[in-house]
Amino acid sequence: MATADGGAYSYSLTVFSPSGKLVQIEHALAAVSQGTTSLGIKASNGIVIATEKKSSSILIDDSMIEKVAVICPNIGIVYSGMGPDFRILIAKARKSAQAYWKIYGEYPPTLVLTQEIATVMQQATQSGGVRPYGVSLLVAGYDVHRGPTLYQVDPSGSYWAWKASAIGKNMINAKTFLEKRYNDDISLEDAIHTALLTLKEGFEGQMTEKTLEIGIITVPSTEELEAGKIGGETGRPKPTFRKLTEEEVRDYLAL
Amino acid sequence: MSIMDHNGGSVIAMAGKDCVAIASDLRLGAGAQTIAMNFEKVFPVTDRLYMGLPGLATDVITLREKFRYLTNMFHIKESRPLQPSTFAHLLSSTLYERRFGPYFCEPVLAGLELTPSGTYQPYIAGTDLIGCLNFAKDFIVAGTASDKLFGVAEGLWEPDLGPEDLFETISQTLLNSVDRDAYSGWGAIVHVITADKVVTRTLKGRMD
Amino acid sequence: MNSFATKFSPTDADIELRRAQEIAEEEGMSDVMWGSEAGFGNLVNGHAFNIPSVPDPSSFLRLHTDDHADPNCKIKIQHGTTTLAFRFQGGVIVAVDSRATAGSYIASGTVKKVIEINPYLLGTMAGGAADCQYWETYLGIQCRLHELRNKERISVAAASKYLSNLVYGYKGMGLSMGTMICGWDKTGPAVFYVDSDGTRLKGDLFSVGSGSTFAYGVLDQGYRWDLTDAEAQELGRRSIYAAGHRDAFSGNTCNLYHVKEDGWKFIGNYDITKMHYDGPGEVAGAPGGGYGYDVRTQGRFSALAPTVPA
Repeated sequence: MATADGGAYSYSLTVFSPSGKLVQIEHALAAVSQGTTSLGIKASNGIVIATEKKSSSILIDDSMIEKVAVICPNIGIVYSGMGPDFRILIAKARKSAQAYWKIYGEYPPTLVLTQEIATVMQQATQSGGVRPYGVSLLVAGYDVHRGPTLYQVDPSGSYWAWKASAIGKNMINAKTFLEKRYNDDISLEDAIHTALLTLKEGFEGQMTEKTLEIGIITVPSTEELEAGKIGGETGRPKPTFRKLTEEEVRDYLAL
Repeated sequence: MSIMDHNGGSVIAMAGKDCVAIASDLRLGAGAQTIAMNFEKVFPVTDRLYMGLPGLATDVITLREKFRYLTNMFHIKESRPLQPSTFAHLLSSTLYERRFGPYFCEPVLAGLELTPSGTYQPYIAGTDLIGCLNFAKDFIVAGTASDKLFGVAEGLWEPDLGPEDLFETISQTLLNSVDRDAYSGWGAIVHVITADKVVTRTLKGRMD
Repeated sequence: MNSFATKFSPTDADIELRRAQEIAEEEGMSDVMWGSEAGFGNLVNGHAFNIPSVPDPSSFLRLHTDDHADPNCKIKIQHGTTTLAFRFQGGVIVAVDSRATAGSYIASGTVKKVIEINPYLLGTMAGGAADCQYWETYLGIQCRLHELRNKERISVAAASKYLSNLVYGYKGMGLSMGTMICGWDKTGPAVFYVDSDGTRLKGDLFSVGSGSTFAYGVLDQGYRWDLTDAEAQELGRRSIYAAGHRDAFSGNTCNLYHVKEDGWKFIGNYDITKMHYDGPGEVAGAPGGGYGYDVRTQGRFSALAPTVPA
């Protein structure tokens, strides 16, 4: 009954061990720490989230891989861990953002969406017949009330707000690196460079615009907010989250 | 007689300069019979947002409680101020949820919206009983005296009224309109909302 | 006549009306063209109104005219009203409100609902304003003719019966009246209730209209035969106030009349809201202060109620 590494409590159902641990969640975290490194840095005028895009074969068309996802115009997410699990969470997060829009006529604040995703992930630790999600997330978003905020969500459903954080394979080293480099009045441009330098530390292979994905939050000016409230031509506010194009990534790498 | 007229009652909201006002009559009737003369139809949603609910009295109370619940949940979940424009959408979607068995109320909103530059902007809006939002720069009317209110407000309202002048305008509009409506009147209550305070006054009206 | 033919032929009343109408039309120029008969010219040669030229006018009219049985009909006639009249030791008190409504719209607040038929007769108005006004004025003509023919005033009983028989002739054609014919004759003070259904009732105390229940509430509580003039007038005023206050379709002002042996007298016009807040003013019988509950009980709360020893 007992297996080599999971012990007697390694059922598909998440069950407490006598020492108070949920081994299934620890396994999920192990899956995350095997995933590629992702990081996020909150700057004074924005946020950057970035990740390494690694493919097992050169034959894979990596332009189709998406690891930084847009949830709604003001929120983006990056992950480390299992890609298919991430896809499910993205679909749920996008649906939740649209449901919020349908009720309130505006997109959810970052905290609310983060809580929503964290709730979904927590439910997988307490429901029958399912396993926890094998991903950790970095959620970057902007809202009028709290400004730019960066959250990390773990398979257990716990979440924290960070000034800068890293998840995945190299997270310990990356975090140490970020702790050295971070200061409170770092600009978005500097933060993007810091992000690249941090990823470079543990990068496997060549770091190019093809093997990197970057998303940024930009803080809108008062004028932009004033205009966004009305909605302009499309009736939609100007997005505050966007992914950098390959050209933009190339330009940052060149510097 | 329409079920919307059964209990009678009317509400009006007006925008001024850096202020808004919302007022209702005080009648509660059962058809032609006047049951009570202290039935307020305007309720606070936040410190700077009030909602008027004219229509079927049982639904007035149900909706008041429903939105009290929804706004409390919003504040607990999101711990941020609820802006009038956000509440207007919540109102609209909540009413449309009952598209095929609606609440017999036509809500009116009056509040001050926080702008990105930190100032407060007058915000008034109304919906029909299934949540079709209607924004206006001048005034919103609803209830059994709505047609009369439209006429009088059209004649009395002018742009950029200060809190005191707006109070006078909305009071005269309401009082004179309900005097031409059999189902509204029997006293009135007026709330004038400015950035730093809300002034509430009860008005003497015709008692017939 | 065989029963099959009867079934499909117009009623006697219809034939009568049709014939009267035809005669009026044939004469071509009547006295009406001189404008000297105040709209009653068409009655000189018998009652001849233009009636719908359909096989069955009354069912046609019932279909299209306001009727309490059919709220969806096309032609609306004002219904909301409070009127009252009562007999007592000192004569007859007649009190009415002055509100006219069209649906929920208050079309007027200054309607005269007491029709002065002649110096000794008053009629009240509830239901169709035009019907009441027209037929009660017409009743005035007939009462004067009776006076000329018989060298004595018509009794209230006779006048009211004339009206009741008259409206009965139009039964089913949409006339809408609920009236009290009040006056003083050889028998003393008299009040008769007459309505367009043909009902005619003699009584001491009546109230008619949507606010009548509220008026009866006050009336029944305060009514005695030996009321003084001032007390009786106050009771009439107070009753109309109660109806104006509670009934959506009654209100604005109260018109008060007092009929005595020497004919009727207009006592006054009282604003109902003013009566609520301040009372009717310096008038005989008024208690002083407003009639309104909140006005009368100002400063007294249930919380301050005196404790009753067990």
